Amino acid sequence: MASDQIPKFSVSDFIAVLNQSLEYSFGTVEIEGEVASFRVNQGKWVFFDIKDATGSVNCFMSLFQLRVPVEDGMKVVVRAVPKITAWGKFSLTIQSIRPSGEGSLKKSFELLKAKLDKEGLFSPERKRPLPEIPAHIAVISSTSAAGYADFIKILNDRWSGLIVDVAHVQVQGESAPEQIMRAIAYFNSRETLPEVLVIIRGGGSADDLAAFNDEPLVRAIAASRIPTIVGVGHEIDVSLADMVADVRAATPSNAAQLVVPDRKELTNTLGQLVRRILVRIDGMVDDYLKDTQAMLRQGWTMLDVRVDLLQSQLVTSRQVMAAYNPKAVLSRGYAIVRGEATTGGMITIEQQERIITAEVKDVETI
Amino acid sequence: MSKQSEQKSVSEKMNELSKLVAWFEGDDFELEQALDTYGKAEQLATEIEHDLVNLKNEITVLKEKFDT
Repeated sequence: MASDQIPKFSVSDFIAVLNQSLEYSFGTVEIEGEVASFRVNQGKWVFFDIKDATGSVNCFMSLFQLRVPVEDGMKVVVRAVPKITAWGKFSLTIQSIRPSGEGSLKKSFELLKAKLDKEGLFSPERKRPLPEIPAHIAVISSTSAAGYADFIKILNDRWSGLIVDVAHVQVQGESAPEQIMRAIAYFNSRETLPEVLVIIRGGGSADDLAAFNDEPLVRAIAASRIPTIVGVGHEIDVSLADMVADVRAATPSNAAQLVVPDRKELTNTLGQLVRRILVRIDGMVDDYLKDTQAMLRQGWTMLDVRVDLLQSQLVTSRQVMAAYNPKAVLSRGYAIVRGEATTGGMITIEQQERIITAEVKDVETI
Repeated sequence: MSKQSEQKSVSEKMNELSKLVAWFEGDDFELEQALDTYGKAEQLATEIEHDLVNLKNEITVLKEKFDT
């Protein structure tokens, strides 16, 4: 090839052409590997290498794009644009990074859990109670997911008259956390807030459920003005979204059970309430009757006492009267003498059973 | 069933019923008012049962898109 046919560039142009070629060839790529030399500079920029047994590539990203904790040794999948820097160094500009494989997912989960726990986001004092009988709830889920269908079925079986606003979002994959966060922000910005925010997703692999361990999403749930209930996966699955929610449901079906009461149970409760009122009225009537009867008994007792007293007074009076009765004196052998007590005078002597007329023979002064 | 109470939600009616029951169990209870209040409570309980049987949940999937 003649030298005039060989492309000739300035350094900057050459780098620009290389980047253009890379962009045409790959655009955005996903690369799986192990993190090494992870560091954060100036609290803004993240640098690390991604490597496997025989290769290693420099990576760069801004800190705000880092949604999950990462440390050396973790297996990750990065989504990145390959680039040659102005200094001629090959690097991957990372758009997103997610742990890969059970060990890394678990490690990332534990790191974020410890961080959020330290901030008190899981503290029991932060938990708000859900209303006993909500009238308006908001649901964030994928309407095509089995978990959503289970939730709606149980909800309809248990309760009626409820207004349910549903935000259809992706519940797995890279865009899921952002979509769920937008839905949370949407409901929280409404003029009339729903009384409960329900976030649900059915079962899946650890990777499927990883969206619910996304740090910004977990923080958005914690910051919700509306009390939250999160039911993700099966009973054994625990996500950070569950932990930060006001109420954790084991499954979407369980979320429905926790959000609304059972109408059958409530009907029984209504019957019990009405019976309680009747018992109270019966009790009150009984109390009044008892009081009235007690007062009546007291009145009769007082009357008896007064009668006894009067009878006793009567007896005493009779005894006094009897003592003063002259006939009683006569009955003891005494006599009443009437007439002129002078010699030759006539007198009558009254005894109990006879009256004697007699003449006075003599009068002697004692 | 009164028109006013028809417009109330089940939870509002339940709250109202709870207040009536609380009145029966509280110190303000008066036998003279009890029958009238009991009538109201019984009517509310009937309305709630009716609502629970006949009302449907109003489920709306929002048109808003959250993917952008």
